Amino acid sequence: MGQRDPPRAVVLMLTYITRRIAQSLMVLLAVSMISFVIFQFMGDPVLTLAGRYATQEQQEAVRHSLGLDRPLHVQYFTFIKNALHGDFGLSYVAQVPVMKLIFERLPATVELAATAMVMALLLGVSLGVISSLHPRSVSSRGIMTGSLLGISLPTFLIGILLILVFAVSLHILPSFGRGRVVSIVGKWRTGFLTLDGWRHLILPALTLGMYQLAVLIRLTRGGMLEALQEDYVRTAWAKGLSPRVVIFKHALRNVLIPVVTVAGLQMGELIAFSIVTESIFQWPGSGKLLLNAIYETDNPVIVAYVMIAAVIILSINILVDILYGVLNPRISYD
Amino acid sequence: MKRVVVLALLGLLAIGLVGLVGIAKDTIVVAVDAPPQTMNPHGSDSDANLSIMANLFDGLLKRDASGTLLPALATSWERMDALTWRFHLRQGVKFHNGNDFTWEDVKYTMERLKIPYPVSEFLAFGGLVASVETVNGDPWTIDITTTTPTPYFDQNLHQVFIMDKESTESRSIGEIGEQPIGTGAYKFVEWVKGSYLRMEANEDYWGGAPSVKYAEIRGITEPSTRAAAIATGEVDIVQNIPVELFDIVTGNPNLEAITAPGRRSIWLGLRNTPGFPASDIRVRKAIYMAINEDEIIDKVLRGHGTPCAQIPDAPTVGYDASIERLPYNPEMAKQLLAEAGYPDGFKIKFTGPNDRYVMDEQIAQAIATQLAKVGIEVEIDTKPKAVYFPEMDEHTLDFYLLGWFDGSFDFGRSFSKLLHSVDPDAGLGGLNGAEYSDPALDSLLEASFNIIDPALRADALRLLNRVAMMEKIAIIPLHYYEDSYAVYKGRGISFTPRPDTWIVFSEMSIGN
Amino acid sequence: MIKRLFHSRVLKHFLKDPLAIVGVLILFVMLIGAIFAPLIAPQNPYNPRELSLQDSLKPPLWMHGGESPFLLGADDQGRDILSTILYGCRTSFMVGFSVVILAGLLGVTIGLIAAFYGGVLDAITMRVADTLFSFSTTLMAMLLLGIFKGGGIPLVILAIVIADWVRYARTMRGSTLAVKQEDYVEAARAIGSHNVRIMFRHILPNAIPPILVVAAVDFGAAVMLEATLSFLGVGVPINEPSLGMMIASGKNYIYAGMWWLTAFPGISLIAIVLGVNLLADWLREEINPRLKRG
Repeated sequence: MGQRDPPRAVVLMLTYITRRIAQSLMVLLAVSMISFVIFQFMGDPVLTLAGRYATQEQQEAVRHSLGLDRPLHVQYFTFIKNALHGDFGLSYVAQVPVMKLIFERLPATVELAATAMVMALLLGVSLGVISSLHPRSVSSRGIMTGSLLGISLPTFLIGILLILVFAVSLHILPSFGRGRVVSIVGKWRTGFLTLDGWRHLILPALTLGMYQLAVLIRLTRGGMLEALQEDYVRTAWAKGLSPRVVIFKHALRNVLIPVVTVAGLQMGELIAFSIVTESIFQWPGSGKLLLNAIYETDNPVIVAYVMIAAVIILSINILVDILYGVLNPRISYD
Repeated sequence: MKRVVVLALLGLLAIGLVGLVGIAKDTIVVAVDAPPQTMNPHGSDSDANLSIMANLFDGLLKRDASGTLLPALATSWERMDALTWRFHLRQGVKFHNGNDFTWEDVKYTMERLKIPYPVSEFLAFGGLVASVETVNGDPWTIDITTTTPTPYFDQNLHQVFIMDKESTESRSIGEIGEQPIGTGAYKFVEWVKGSYLRMEANEDYWGGAPSVKYAEIRGITEPSTRAAAIATGEVDIVQNIPVELFDIVTGNPNLEAITAPGRRSIWLGLRNTPGFPASDIRVRKAIYMAINEDEIIDKVLRGHGTPCAQIPDAPTVGYDASIERLPYNPEMAKQLLAEAGYPDGFKIKFTGPNDRYVMDEQIAQAIATQLAKVGIEVEIDTKPKAVYFPEMDEHTLDFYLLGWFDGSFDFGRSFSKLLHSVDPDAGLGGLNGAEYSDPALDSLLEASFNIIDPALRADALRLLNRVAMMEKIAIIPLHYYEDSYAVYKGRGISFTPRPDTWIVFSEMSIGN
Repeated sequence: MIKRLFHSRVLKHFLKDPLAIVGVLILFVMLIGAIFAPLIAPQNPYNPRELSLQDSLKPPLWMHGGESPFLLGADDQGRDILSTILYGCRTSFMVGFSVVILAGLLGVTIGLIAAFYGGVLDAITMRVADTLFSFSTTLMAMLLLGIFKGGGIPLVILAIVIADWVRYARTMRGSTLAVKQEDYVEAARAIGSHNVRIMFRHILPNAIPPILVVAAVDFGAAVMLEATLSFLGVGVPINEPSLGMMIASGKNYIYAGMWWLTAFPGISLIAIVLGVNLLADWLREEINPRLKRG
């Protein structure tokens, strides 16, 4: 290891990224194949679609128009070809293009997830740091107990409790929906620009982010406690540097690396728990869409959702890898 | 520091108060338990969707709040012979995009019904239409001929909404599913899926502009959320007060609860294939008598239902008021089972939906509990309707739960779908989930198809009903729902529920 | 062996830590309740013969309208809440232990072999593992169970294990790689021991301690996941007990003032997971003595 010429490091990094992207594409292909095959064997949308009173002939006509009577591999290739154009077919239930359905609901989920993550990161890291400075103090113990509860309470219970306290008993916050939303940039409807939107966002974001918050508190605290024992920190103390510099510049930076990595890799968890949160708060996002699609066996929606989730997760992974490399110069990409 | 705290508290308070500002009162917001699925009026035959379509579109005919069939886009109609129906069309009607309504739109609509997914779920009805032609070259008089004699053809026309040929042909199915263009009392404004549907009054409506300027529908499936929405006044009217929260809602002084006897009957289908325990009439009677319907209504529905003895309700042709329920008598049930050769009972699989009818899953569980007391071991299998109804169409069930309410008010149509022996080519028994088959009942039904005189036909259907229920125990009836609504007081909203549970905004008003 | 445990340093540490003791006690109580449910429970709430709709929604004993034997009240079908909790805990423990054992065995074996042999095997295995891991156990389980409905408890366990083994594999791989360098392993190789023998006799026992922490945390996670899946309606079937499902069906009654349908199952669920997490925290410290808790 040691110092490398900047250009060489950049080339190495680019090679690494390219390799990762290639690997991710292979994973996506595998995922698409698996989900496609699975759906061939699941349920028969024809009967629901032809309506309650259709005859056998009419059902065959529906089957043909859905393309369900062509051989499996032909259907798959058509599926892939269309997918590359962003066409995942029509939702069985709404007869509207699936991609449109998902992308319409995505802003709601993205805003919810982003708010939850930002809150969890900001609060989690700060509380973690605070509780690591004076580990035996009352407030630290309080924070630790709180975080222990935070990881022991399932998300759905947190949601129910929050609704019970703030909406039903105290009547100060709404219990469902997004409230008034404003259109910005095309189809993106945001709740960030209205007070009503924020009021509706508080409880769901808290519910979704609670687990992450607790995990981050514990992680940060653990990392800080370890870092504060390290030699280089002791040296900095000895040198007489101000406490603030010591904490933030030295210890925290090294703790942030694993924290950010973990936070980034929690994408899968975040997507999964947004489904639960959206269900409890009737939040009109893509998670709720998936849940409805599951109940109604709306296969095109489920397949498209799985693919999109895969793309998001794989992209975030690559980003985190890059970020990790930037933050920690000791990593080599060979 | 103290100042910061005070400011924060004030801020929180402000946020809380702002939320209490009401909506400008030219809008009525209704929360329903099933959100709209599509704006394509033929794309879904579920009542929830048709209810909404009825605001944006018109059919040739319509039904008023009491269920009477009335002229709509047709000013008058008559049945000419067994296969021909004549309609006089209304002139001067315009679609929301300005196009004129003509007979060609009717022809186009009828033909569109025959196109399978993703266009139409009304394939069976479409299959009944043979042709649509003008009479003597008069573009305002048309004859619709059916493929087979269908006495209840006109009874269905309030659910078949007329589309504008020109704009439907020129748009993709995706657009049609999102931007409806009809002739209805309300025009489409906006549909945010999963949140709300907004409509505005059609000032040029042929029936006169409706008094409520803006109409909004919010689909809230979760019962407690729906109750919360009306309790806080976030919506003006809620349809289907969850039974477990009924008292909380009615006890709320801001709300006015309206209940009406429902039209939908809930009943149990039971297989009678030879060799199956329930092929013996004594077993069927035993199961009927082992079910304590009063207890189900009292404990599961919390009182919000009435026992029924047959599938149709009072206004339906074929309803017979003289049919009575078999009494609850578990001792007798056990006796009958023993006589039939099942002194220790038997096992049976029960299938039902868990997301379609009020308390459907809980009713299934209650039935299992009650039947266990006479020795019948019930294996419960409940599933989402999207999985359940296809299974029903495959006729593989043994013992199942179904809710039924025929929008065409005709028991003959109901029976042909539900209980006639399964005959796919003739389109009979499509929903006969357990292959119930009784040749005597089949003949009674088939005989009624050719009777043209409505009174004679009604007699024939009543006979069919009576024999099916009292002699054959074709099904085990449970109850009719109670339709319930809650209206937020103090906003001057005038709302009368319809027996078909449709939400028709042109029938509402906001008082001064 | 027991004697060794009693005199061991580990036990001493354990007894000094009140939180750990509390955790284990809670777990113990819940476990006993779950194991002996058929004997202790006043009623088998999943046997329709023992139910009566007349008991529907009875409040807990100490409230007005409460009636014996419904100590904690009854749900809308007349099931005794206490009994349902005991049986529900059974499901939770069953899922928890099954997942830990199955995922643990699978993950440990894969991690050990991959790290030991290294090379392409290791690379491929870790790629697969990484991908599964980034999808997260929760999402995988939700999607799998949403697609394959109605499989009962075994399917729920399988759906969780499919992505869950990865955390064991990763940890095992990490500690195997560390142990692989140790002197005694080199020595074993030098005298010509079989690979398999080296793996299982030398590496495994020394690489195990971190796995115990993972197992403890995973147990809690599996219990919570089963509850979440059942809450959403894609987990345990309706005629089998589950704390998550009880909470879901009781949720609507909270607003009607009937809090006992949700509160008691909720508390039980939290108790199990909290107990396990307390134990896991203590284990983590034992394994990693550098971390002073304070």
